[in-house]
Amino acid sequence: MTSATKPAAPMLKGRREHYDPKVVVSAFLLIAPTIIGLCVLNIYPFFDTIRRSLYKTQGLGPEVYVKLKNFADLFKDDMIGHATRNTLLYMVLTVPVGVMLSLIFASLLNSKIKGRDVYRAIYFLPMVVAPAAVAMVWRWIFNTENGILNIFLKLFGIQGPSWLSDPKTALLSCAIIGIWSSVGYDLVMILAGLQSISKSYYEAAQIDGASGIQTFWHITIPMVSPTLFFVVLMRAMSSLKQFDTIYLLIKTTNPAYKQGTVLMTLFYREAFEKFNKGYASAIVLFTFVIIAIFTAIQFAAEKKLVHYE
Amino acid sequence: MKKWFVLLLTVAMLLTAIPCAMAEENVTLTFAFWDTNQEPGMRAIADAYMAEHPNVTIEVQVTPWGEYWTKLEAGAMGDSMPDVFWMHSNQFFKYVTADKLLSLDDLDYDYSPYPEGVTSLYTYEGSHYAIPKDYDTIALVYNKEIFDAAGEPYPDDTWDWAKFLEVAKKLTDPENGIYGFGAPNDRQSGYLNLIYQNGGFAFEDGKSGYDLPETKEAIQFWVDLMLKEGVSPSLESFVDMGVDDQMQAGKLAMCFTGSWNMSSYTSNDLFNGKFDLCVLPQGKTRASIYNGLGYAIAASTKYPEVAKDFVAFCGTEEANKLQAERKAAIPAYAGTEHYFTDLFSDINIACYTEMIAYGVQYPFSPNKSLWESQEEEIMTSVYTGELTVDEACDKIHEIITDIEG
Repeated sequence: MTSATKPAAPMLKGRREHYDPKVVVSAFLLIAPTIIGLCVLNIYPFFDTIRRSLYKTQGLGPEVYVKLKNFADLFKDDMIGHATRNTLLYMVLTVPVGVMLSLIFASLLNSKIKGRDVYRAIYFLPMVVAPAAVAMVWRWIFNTENGILNIFLKLFGIQGPSWLSDPKTALLSCAIIGIWSSVGYDLVMILAGLQSISKSYYEAAQIDGASGIQTFWHITIPMVSPTLFFVVLMRAMSSLKQFDTIYLLIKTTNPAYKQGTVLMTLFYREAFEKFNKGYASAIVLFTFVIIAIFTAIQFAAEKKLVHYE
Repeated sequence: MKKWFVLLLTVAMLLTAIPCAMAEENVTLTFAFWDTNQEPGMRAIADAYMAEHPNVTIEVQVTPWGEYWTKLEAGAMGDSMPDVFWMHSNQFFKYVTADKLLSLDDLDYDYSPYPEGVTSLYTYEGSHYAIPKDYDTIALVYNKEIFDAAGEPYPDDTWDWAKFLEVAKKLTDPENGIYGFGAPNDRQSGYLNLIYQNGGFAFEDGKSGYDLPETKEAIQFWVDLMLKEGVSPSLESFVDMGVDDQMQAGKLAMCFTGSWNMSSYTSNDLFNGKFDLCVLPQGKTRASIYNGLGYAIAASTKYPEVAKDFVAFCGTEEANKLQAERKAAIPAYAGTEHYFTDLFSDINIACYTEMIAYGVQYPFSPNKSLWESQEEEIMTSVYTGELTVDEACDKIHEIITDIEG
């Protein structure tokens, strides 16, 4: 039902704006599952979150209307400050490096090398693994005494830190996991962008005697910039909403708790551990505003940096 | 033609559904809990009940601890809770104050075989809301090999804090990665025990006891085990590996652990036979934190009478024996404990049941979920050196007083 690929709805002759009612009805029926899902699962909860943010939750009892008190508390709460700083830091740590690596690997995989498909599959693998499993495996890699990373460092005489519990490295460790698990997906997007670049540009550059690096900067980058923009945008948004790995790795008893809490984990703890749904809704809306600001900045930058054919 | 056929089929299907809904004889109850280790025990009870009541079907639902409460809360809001389910003291008030639990008063039940504390946990304004299921206490577990290697006699019931610290110091050998004791940032299996042993309290009658010098002193002793005396591994190490895992890995000579961990300790082939148990060392007085679960019924259940009959059965001696024999937990019914303790013949498991004599109820309050995790966060700041124990306790006291009003 959802995979109907019929040609566009036939219009009644001569009247452009008026469609055959039967066609309209069946069209709506076809998109109904998605639209209903969107309304029930996304749009209604969004407005309900706004409503809830004005109430104080009391166990299972009735909610109490408290006006903007939750938002006032937001600015008094130390943890919000820590979490906001950590969330932005996490974005700065993951997005540029992650996208750069994806671009490099995508360019390499776009050339003719032996076993290319095998490499493509390998790079995509982290995407297929459940985040919880990823977190558990990395927890062992980062283990202070028995972790493979610190054992490896010991070979060079370096005593590695307690990656996940040292306030200096906890967020960095989470960022490494974030980059590792996102490169595969971004790479596929960029690869698709690279493959849509017409060969004729490269042939022309070759005739003009451009070097490999020159071709990369003057042809590949501008031509792939729309895809790159999309990847950066999506990655920035998802890094601001990062939850699963950080939640699983940085618990409240972790000495690096303050340095490793981001807005989404703070929200989860308020909503589902302290059952403070009203305040949690306020945190979500605060995060929403931050994401909106960054997205607006990116769209402003798009006009200057992105090249469309 | 085709339309008629479809219509006929629909009507036929509806008709077959009606008898199930109409006949009151056949009843299906859902029975929810969170511990997979206890599933065999719970199924045995359900099967025994169904054998006696052929018209009743009991559907067992196991949901992991974290999701269990999220699901139960959602069920409570939509009045679609399971009919019968386990209740925990942390959550009881929230459900009972929202009228989500069925009162068991007209069951006219005899609560005398159960520990009074467990019964009182699920009593609200004089009414009973759950039948006690089991209880747990905290004991000292020790690694016999480490004691033997150092030529130290094993812990016994004469130990006090001073003796305990002295031995923990002797057994600590950081060069070889062995520590005398594991003292993580833990309440129930940690400093709460010491607070009550020192004559203080954490929370009682709606009031915080964190401003008491006895409470502060006990927490200081616990924190010092790691920070000053160095007999416990660092807080960082507990992030990598929980205290019970470190114990089972042979890195600790001693730690505190709850009775609910015993089936995991004894099923670890590498560690089984190398450890034993002892009652907690005493402070000014003896104390061990205990807690208990209960079987509760949803107020929204369609079959209150059958559900009451079933929970009454769960509370019988027979049902307690059934759960105990399957290593579920220490049964709440007095006199059936041995069915559980007999299963662990090579360790001194009896110390868990012995400590109920001076057990202290795990503190509970309607708003506990609001302050408990904040307490954990504040205590973390003590370990990182941002706050002193004194400052942290004052802060916790302030938060609890603020929330509980």
